Amino acid sequence: MIAPGLFFLRRILFVGLAAAALLTAVRVAATNCPAGDAEALAWLDKMSRGIQQVSYHGVVTFQRGDDLQAMQVSHSVANGVATERLTELTGQGAEVVRVNHPLECVHPGHQLLQMGDRLQAGECGVADYYRFSVAPGELVAGRQAVRILIEPRDMYRYGYILELDRETGLLLKSAIIGRGDKVLEKFQFASLSFSPDTAADGGERLVHNAQHPHPQESRLAVGPAGLPWRIDWLPEGFTATDNPSAAEERRTFTDGLAVFSVFLEFLSGEIRPGEGVIRNGGTTSYTRGMHLGEQSILVTVIGEVPLNTARMVADSIAGCAGPC
Amino acid sequence: MSELMRESLSALMDDEANELEVERVLARIASDTDLRRVWVRYNVVHSVASGQPPTHLELDISSQVREALDGDSRGITNLRQRLVRPLASMAVAASVAATVVLGGQQLAQLEADSYDAQAIASSVSPVGMVNSLGATSVQASYGTQGMPELQPATRTAYQELARQRLHKYMQEHAEHAALNTPNGLVPFARVPRIKE
Repeated sequence: MIAPGLFFLRRILFVGLAAAALLTAVRVAATNCPAGDAEALAWLDKMSRGIQQVSYHGVVTFQRGDDLQAMQVSHSVANGVATERLTELTGQGAEVVRVNHPLECVHPGHQLLQMGDRLQAGECGVADYYRFSVAPGELVAGRQAVRILIEPRDMYRYGYILELDRETGLLLKSAIIGRGDKVLEKFQFASLSFSPDTAADGGERLVHNAQHPHPQESRLAVGPAGLPWRIDWLPEGFTATDNPSAAEERRTFTDGLAVFSVFLEFLSGEIRPGEGVIRNGGTTSYTRGMHLGEQSILVTVIGEVPLNTARMVADSIAGCAGPC
Repeated sequence: MSELMRESLSALMDDEANELEVERVLARIASDTDLRRVWVRYNVVHSVASGQPPTHLELDISSQVREALDGDSRGITNLRQRLVRPLASMAVAASVAATVVLGGQQLAQLEADSYDAQAIASSVSPVGMVNSLGATSVQASYGTQGMPELQPATRTAYQELARQRLHKYMQEHAEHAALNTPNGLVPFARVPRIKE
């Protein structure tokens, strides 16, 4: 029984060493941002800016495993502000609206994609964390698309396949790709029209006004403040989406393509340490009971990132004795 | 501990490690106290999640090896399945290796650092459901140190907790995703039930 075990371990070591040598060579080559990425980055720049500038409406499908949802989206731009609306056509039938979002208000995720002159200056931006390639796309909702294949450079994020409208850069179709090239979720336009939406909706439905968290936003303290805490580890390239206080129970981070949020609850009693995971499409929801010194806490990391990332972020949470 | 190590360790826990990562952990775990500490913590948490007592902490190496190779006990269905899933097999190999390097004194030390076993054994969950589901912890003797053994009910409770938290927090997460990714308001489609 022991001999095959030893043989097995030795084999692992050999394969590992060979892989190490190979990977070192690849890492060196990857440090400067390759010319192939520049074209993709230019497309992402166009896509991110286009979202603010183009008026359109259409029907979008959103697929996770066997679950298929359909929704109507509209986006209109006038007088320097954008108004957006999403109406679910399946399931709950709820509506989400964002009214009068200023065009000059560019959030951190889009700032990461809008490389502009920084691209000419030789910066790699998101290409430090993803590998890109551009391919001719097919028709999506009757529009000619260009396909951007996005592969993560580390194991902390997923891959993406984006299809953009050749003319406007509008994102027509996107898929989140997990390990083993598995499509975790997919959204795409089924129909699209580049004009402001004129359809008036008389139906009674739940309407949610989307909030506007932003790094420069002055914030009102919500609820009783908890203890100050910090996150000691984030995957490279992730930046905060707003500016929460050291005691606020939520933090959110983005690398321009992926977003995850960390929620912390201070518990009054003891908790049995452990973890629970729910995965739904590209979303991982990881809940972990642990201790910050004497204090029991419940950490939840939700986002479109692999379980590893969520676990490692939760593991790095620390309390602050002094200022964070 | 380096970031690369953390990464390898976490991947190993999920059976997602590649050969290089397994090798990395095997090579370092004997000499790196931090690495062992994190390894033990990940394993305790992971064991709870999978409803198993943290068997990797057992010092009975022969039974660990037998379990890994025969593959006929807890969670490991048969040898053939192990062989066709090489990554999983390597994770088992790695946990055997980790067991080998953990001496009795070290284990006691790590155990005390990882969490307060006494407190857990007598814990009352603030979540409520953990106890209502009948989760009980019993003390298994481990030389000088108490060792909590967690029942599968804890796993069920954590699974339920994760589901509830997803419902509670998904919308707030979507608010940020909608402003910081190229999909516009589409991230709201991930919210199980949109609230006003």
